[in-house]
Amino acid sequence: MVTLEEYNSTEKPTWCPGCADYTILTTIKKTLTELNIESHNAVLVSGVGCFAKLPYWIKTNGFVGLHGRSLPVAQGIKLANEDLTVIAFGGDGDGYSEGGNHFIHACRRNVNITYVVHNNGVFGLTTGQYSSTSTMGTKSKSSPRGSIEVSFNPIAVALASGATFIARVYVGNPSHCVDIMKKAVQHNGFAFVDIIQPCITFGKNHEYYKDKIYIVDEKYDWSDKSTAFLKALESDTGKIPCGIIYKK
Amino acid sequence: MDSFVIRVGGEAGWGIATAANLIAHIFIKLGYHVFSSKEYASQIKGGHNYHTLRISSKPLGADVDKVDMLLALDSVTVEKHTSYVVDGGMILYNDSIEIKDTKSTVTYVPLPITTIQQTLNEKNIANTVFVGAAIKSLNIEYDVLKSVMADIFNHKLQLLDILANAAHTGYDSMEKGVGIGLSAGEKSSLEFYNGNGAITKGALDAGITFHAQYPMTPVSAILHDLAKESINNKDLTVIQPEDEIAAINMALGASYAGSRAMTATSGGGFSLMVESVGLASMAELPLVIIEGQRPGPATGLPTKTEQGDLSFVLSAGQGDFPHVVIAPGNVQECYTETKRAFYLAEKYQLPVIVLVDTLLAESFSTIKLSNTLNIDFSQRFNIIDNANQYQMKNGLFMRYSEDNFLRTLPGTKNGIYTCAGDEHTNVGSITEDPTIRNGMMRHRMGKLKKIEEELPVPELYGSINADMTLVCWGSTTSAVMEVVNRLGTEGKSVNMVHMKYMCPFHTSSVHDILSKSNKILLIENNYTGQLGKLIMEKTGIHVNDTILKYDGQPFTVDELYNLIIQKW
Repeated sequence: MVTLEEYNSTEKPTWCPGCADYTILTTIKKTLTELNIESHNAVLVSGVGCFAKLPYWIKTNGFVGLHGRSLPVAQGIKLANEDLTVIAFGGDGDGYSEGGNHFIHACRRNVNITYVVHNNGVFGLTTGQYSSTSTMGTKSKSSPRGSIEVSFNPIAVALASGATFIARVYVGNPSHCVDIMKKAVQHNGFAFVDIIQPCITFGKNHEYYKDKIYIVDEKYDWSDKSTAFLKALESDTGKIPCGIIYKK
Repeated sequence: MDSFVIRVGGEAGWGIATAANLIAHIFIKLGYHVFSSKEYASQIKGGHNYHTLRISSKPLGADVDKVDMLLALDSVTVEKHTSYVVDGGMILYNDSIEIKDTKSTVTYVPLPITTIQQTLNEKNIANTVFVGAAIKSLNIEYDVLKSVMADIFNHKLQLLDILANAAHTGYDSMEKGVGIGLSAGEKSSLEFYNGNGAITKGALDAGITFHAQYPMTPVSAILHDLAKESINNKDLTVIQPEDEIAAINMALGASYAGSRAMTATSGGGFSLMVESVGLASMAELPLVIIEGQRPGPATGLPTKTEQGDLSFVLSAGQGDFPHVVIAPGNVQECYTETKRAFYLAEKYQLPVIVLVDTLLAESFSTIKLSNTLNIDFSQRFNIIDNANQYQMKNGLFMRYSEDNFLRTLPGTKNGIYTCAGDEHTNVGSITEDPTIRNGMMRHRMGKLKKIEEELPVPELYGSINADMTLVCWGSTTSAVMEVVNRLGTEGKSVNMVHMKYMCPFHTSSVHDILSKSNKILLIENNYTGQLGKLIMEKTGIHVNDTILKYDGQPFTVDELYNLIIQKW
């Protein structure tokens, strides 16, 4: 039986005190433990950004590569050894801007890996510029008069690109995060999880998300793509639906 | 005469390549050596394409300026190439072409292509009619052509029927001529490879298990051939990803997980890969990269040839990092050096770039590939399947210890570490500690010295203490070597040195050779003399005399001979 301790690293994370990434770190450890995956058979792949340091602080195989490139690396690993449990990580800068092309094509390719994106709507490690998922008009160091681009909709893009498992969770609900993450890892195909998180230093706080976040109800039919598209577009109106949005 | 040259030209889409391939294999079957080059435009239909076949008793790797027989499927071929046809040569042409200025020393033979097409009720057969007519005028039996066609079209019996019929009609329409006047060697003991084919064969013989490539001229054939191979080879995964950045990163992921991985591209695609070359070096991952140069910058001349990327690949990446750059000089070396690349990459865990160009990648030579590199690829180099207690720290494998070249693969029980693009400790944890940084830099950079000691040193070819030493690299080597031989038979004192290993560089050997040279002449297919700059940087020897060409065309032997004579 795999225990949580097996995944404990002796290294101390350097994220800001109170950062939501600590919750995601625990979520990943719990997911792997509860799915009884031995630490030598898991691989965590990331790129560059605050989130990207996560593999350094979990005691399992890690590959910390370049900005935006975790998906091709993760697919290469899985294609080389299908017995490994491969989880790739991205951020809204890393995954949706720099690695946007890989995201689209990984959805299409449907290699059996999990892709987790830490989506906080701001660049953290470069000290607070607006990102592709910032709402239009966001004022930041690099957008003093407000950002002019429409916010990127990762759920809709994943749907349009043919992903077979699409989910969103909010880091403020850790047990829901673990529940969905386990389903994503167990999914036989490309599983995508967008994690909405605050950035307590540069971005939005929990208060901002409190009224926008909700979990889709039990009657929601995630097997219907048209329904899923409507659900994906809800985030453009201010509400942020969480849970499994689409599964094939 | 040391070679007989046949050139076949027409529009893209007319089967010019097929005609050239048939003629080449006819002469190979008869025991001749053939060098086959092609010139084409970046368009799929139309445009002017031509293939040149240089047939000889001995192996060759370059073109000359003459044409003995021209097969002109269109008027452009007549206009562009008649001036190269030698006195006593022959031009076979489509009789629907109007020949304006005939050359009195050349025999013109019209072929009734339109009539034959109507009689046989087939359209796309002109190429094989020409081949049939050409071989009869060279006194070759139809049966030789028939058996070559049967080999090439053995899966397309209906097409074979049509083409054989057309070839036979072409054969019958011609008067029997005399032979090419060269003696043949042993029959069919030779294979016909271009650089791409030899690289592919080398990769397969080195046990490649993962190849990711986005298509790009001149190396797309590597992707095609490996994709075909992967149908029946369960150990080989081939993937065409969304771009070159994905290609190299997939290959790195696969390499990390234990595959013998390769990617291939040209300068433009390699530009996209550059950051990841540094990652391979930093994270100490084996990777073979084939870079097939074509004239840049930007899209440049996409189907032409140039040696313009040497300086670029040598410095491709931010920071100081070890990587190996090898530039094979002929088809045999494409095979050998690709295998060596896999060996060095896996043993020393770093990226190895094999630098070729359009001329070398796409020109075919008759060859008996020899296994000059004695390496057993059935074993893995420096991979362990379990770490002992002395190799572990806090339950992690000390993968990046100084002077340690052992690695584990993910899935190994006592083998967990982080493969890191950040500067890292010996277990792969992120660090900014100056002492650790120093150690890691020395560990990585120290690989180059070890590799240099494993590589064969450059050798002088030709007479010792010659009046002139020619310096070259890559695809120009064959042309230079032929000129050295020609000058030698004329009693001129000349030798050459062909540089193959660009990084690490055999500084002292090269210095020894060049410092003893009476006069050095650098020959490169680029504008700035990039090898010359490298020699200057490494040895302090400044090569003043250069022959540089950057018009997208390779040197012909005759052209090079004349340019060298002018420098004498």
